[in-house]
Amino acid sequence: MRKLFLNILGFLFIFTSVTAQEVNIFSARHYDSDVQLYEKFTAKTGIKVNVVSGKDKALQKRIKAEGKDCKGDLYITADAGRLGAFQSQGMFQKGASSAGVKKIVPANFRTAYWTGIAKRARVIYYNPKTVNPSWNMTYEDLADPKYKGKIVIRQSNNVYNQSLVASLIKNNGAKKTETWAKGLVSNFARKAKGNDRAQILAVAAGEADWAVANTYYIALMLSGKKGPEQQAAAKKVRPFFPNQDGRGTHMNISGGGILKHSPNKDNAIKLLEFLLTKEAQEHIVNNTFEYPMIDGVEPNKLIAQFGLGFKQDLKTKVSSYGKLQAKALKIMTESGWN
Amino acid sequence: MNSRINFWYISSLIVPLVVAIPIITIFFSFFETTSEYLTLLKNTFLLEYISNSIFVLVGVLFLTFFFGVTSAYFVSFYDFPGVNFFKWALILSFAVPGYIYAYSLTAFFENYGTAFSILTYLFGEGEYNKYIPKFDGLIGSIFSISFSLFGYVYVLTRASFLYQSHNLIEVGKNLGFSTKRSFFKIILPSARPAIVAGLSLVAMETLSDFGTVSFFSISTLTTAIYNAWISFDDLSTANQLSFLLLFFILILFIIENYSRKRAKYHQPSRGFKSIPKIELKGKKSTLAFSFCSMLFFCSFLFPVFQMGYWTIKFPKYFQDIDLWSLNFNTLLLVFLSSVCLIIFSFLSNYGNRISKSKLLNYLSAFSVTGYAIPGVILAVAFITFISWLSDTFSSTFGFASFKPLFIGSVIGLVLAYFVRFFSLSFNGIRSGYLKINQSIDDSAYLLGYSKFKTFTSIHVPYLKNSIFLVGVLIAIEIIKELPITLILRPFNFETFATKAYSYAAQDLLEAAAFPSLCLIMWASLFILFVSRYILSDK
Repeated sequence: MRKLFLNILGFLFIFTSVTAQEVNIFSARHYDSDVQLYEKFTAKTGIKVNVVSGKDKALQKRIKAEGKDCKGDLYITADAGRLGAFQSQGMFQKGASSAGVKKIVPANFRTAYWTGIAKRARVIYYNPKTVNPSWNMTYEDLADPKYKGKIVIRQSNNVYNQSLVASLIKNNGAKKTETWAKGLVSNFARKAKGNDRAQILAVAAGEADWAVANTYYIALMLSGKKGPEQQAAAKKVRPFFPNQDGRGTHMNISGGGILKHSPNKDNAIKLLEFLLTKEAQEHIVNNTFEYPMIDGVEPNKLIAQFGLGFKQDLKTKVSSYGKLQAKALKIMTESGWN
Repeated sequence: MNSRINFWYISSLIVPLVVAIPIITIFFSFFETTSEYLTLLKNTFLLEYISNSIFVLVGVLFLTFFFGVTSAYFVSFYDFPGVNFFKWALILSFAVPGYIYAYSLTAFFENYGTAFSILTYLFGEGEYNKYIPKFDGLIGSIFSISFSLFGYVYVLTRASFLYQSHNLIEVGKNLGFSTKRSFFKIILPSARPAIVAGLSLVAMETLSDFGTVSFFSISTLTTAIYNAWISFDDLSTANQLSFLLLFFILILFIIENYSRKRAKYHQPSRGFKSIPKIELKGKKSTLAFSFCSMLFFCSFLFPVFQMGYWTIKFPKYFQDIDLWSLNFNTLLLVFLSSVCLIIFSFLSNYGNRISKSKLLNYLSAFSVTGYAIPGVILAVAFITFISWLSDTFSSTFGFASFKPLFIGSVIGLVLAYFVRFFSLSFNGIRSGYLKINQSIDDSAYLLGYSKFKTFTSIHVPYLKNSIFLVGVLIAIEIIKELPITLILRPFNFETFATKAYSYAAQDLLEAAAFPSLCLIMWASLFILFVSRYILSDK
């Protein structure tokens, strides 16, 4: 009874318990494996990691409203566009790309305000029984009328799609991207719906021949974490890395930055650097099936089997996505992409 | 006149004001700049969003009406196998929140989902995906919301049937009506106020739903408000859209209020006896039994089975869950919030009762609209308001910031729940109060009781059952609550709802199954506790 009482008291006054050796994270990534990683960090350094996870925009709203009372040190999310947008609102301080980080993370995947922790590619999936992509197929090709009624992709409100279209705007200009979006929409096999995995399943089930989705989803299915049926379904589908004859395949990141009013900045940097160690990167790639951010770590074999030598788009800086996402959404919505 | 301004008056003045915070915040834009969102929306999808909202609303109203009234009709007037079981089993649907229903529906019908597994198990390998019906997001949303909400219509309609002083079917027979004709001409009209009351509750919950429709990627007015405010920082558009939503809700309130007044008119004050039920035989009995079984299966067993199946199929996710802290956190929130809500609902009701002030009455009526504001919007409004208030106090009076006290703390969560569920609690206590005759108060005063003593020694004991019922209803709502908890919670704080959500967000519905199942179990337990009050035959 006394323990219960103390527990209640502790919870009521949880906001007063600030000790020096801790780091507070707001995270829009929900992976349990991230939490395991934080535990490893604590075991190593003695720094306690506290987490609030939630929806990206709502969390940002809370951080902004809390202002200088915000106890958060790090903001971690998937998608470079989100990081860029939050940066442009002045919510990060410089420091994420510390000297140690700069040495190992390619310049394309970081800014002074935030750094990538892991990479993912947004690729084309196809059904090898019915179709066969030519080696130089591109995202741009998906608007070709010959794919009419054959393509599935999720909705325009999805941030990964917004980043993909942002990269197209960056490379081809808004006008061409508008025409492209209209062409793509007219090739839809069904109204955009479901998550990325649902697109891959639709190809497996024969609803469409082509899908656009991130790489780690197929590995998740192949791993058996979604059961034997989905494992079997995933084997019927192949990923294809587009734009090999040009700028390369569209890349995106999971990443984090140090919040403007961070009370434990040093610990936050330590944690970011820890996340980029070989040990942590191996943990990430084997649990989330993303690509590692640093050299010297192999992706999980379920991902590696699809090839490691593909050309990544290192020309388009991921930091440009944030600036163009709103425009991308506008173009997609106006082209009838629901 | 001055004697009116006392402790009771002040307390019943303050509570509705606190509860009105989100509405006030939405309407008075202190803060942000506007963007082009409205122009974009108008040129593209605004009509679609509104029509989605209306389509979901109409679909849900139709289904909940059909499920709720038909089942209430069967269990109230007829005797058939299992009727005493269905009587309470049907309210278990309250334990399954719409978003968990949505998880189950998707899991079952998706390509290579549970239905596929079952067919493979039964008939061996095959191309079954073609034959498994695919739910459109709109249809999926309508079904998920309907199955989780039809209980309102069922409970209220059934209560209204029970309050009839004699068997309406007999009346119909005496008038020479067929069963069908008695149903449409006598029974249905007599229960109209109760049905409308049930449907308007359903309507409010449907319009304010965010979790279910966003899981199915259906954009409604609520989505548009969320996007305008939270993604585009466009408060003025959010205001205009919220106004539209509140306008819908206001109309529903007026309808509900109107029908309540009629309901009072219809109720016999005392001396009704229970209706002798008509025994069904043969086909009719099978029909009633099948309908109720189907409803019980779809609304409760189906999601429980789906979640149970996953929990067993994927046992390794089971280990990752810290049951002690999830139980502790969930129950702590339930306990603190119920106590606060009940105490303040009492104060407000009593204040209203003794001061008889029109202003208070209007204010209380206004404040209960908090229930109809989507939780996610309410949570952001709450944060915005607290931060505005704290900043204003700091800059004007040099106070220390009190944000940490309310944002990211258990106290903040309890306060936000308070705003969200005050209507539920206030109305629950009020309906108990309406049964205490004013003359009882007058006699107490004559006997020399003070107002305070009248309150503690007469009203509180008299309303024991109402307190119990309201407390448990709040508990069920808080166990299921997601958006407010998600945004406002402290560090390292999980409830069953947030845990289930966080797995669902990483596309591991399989892992979300166990916390969902625990959530349903707790809510069911609470429902069974109060089922005899909800279903009271007296």
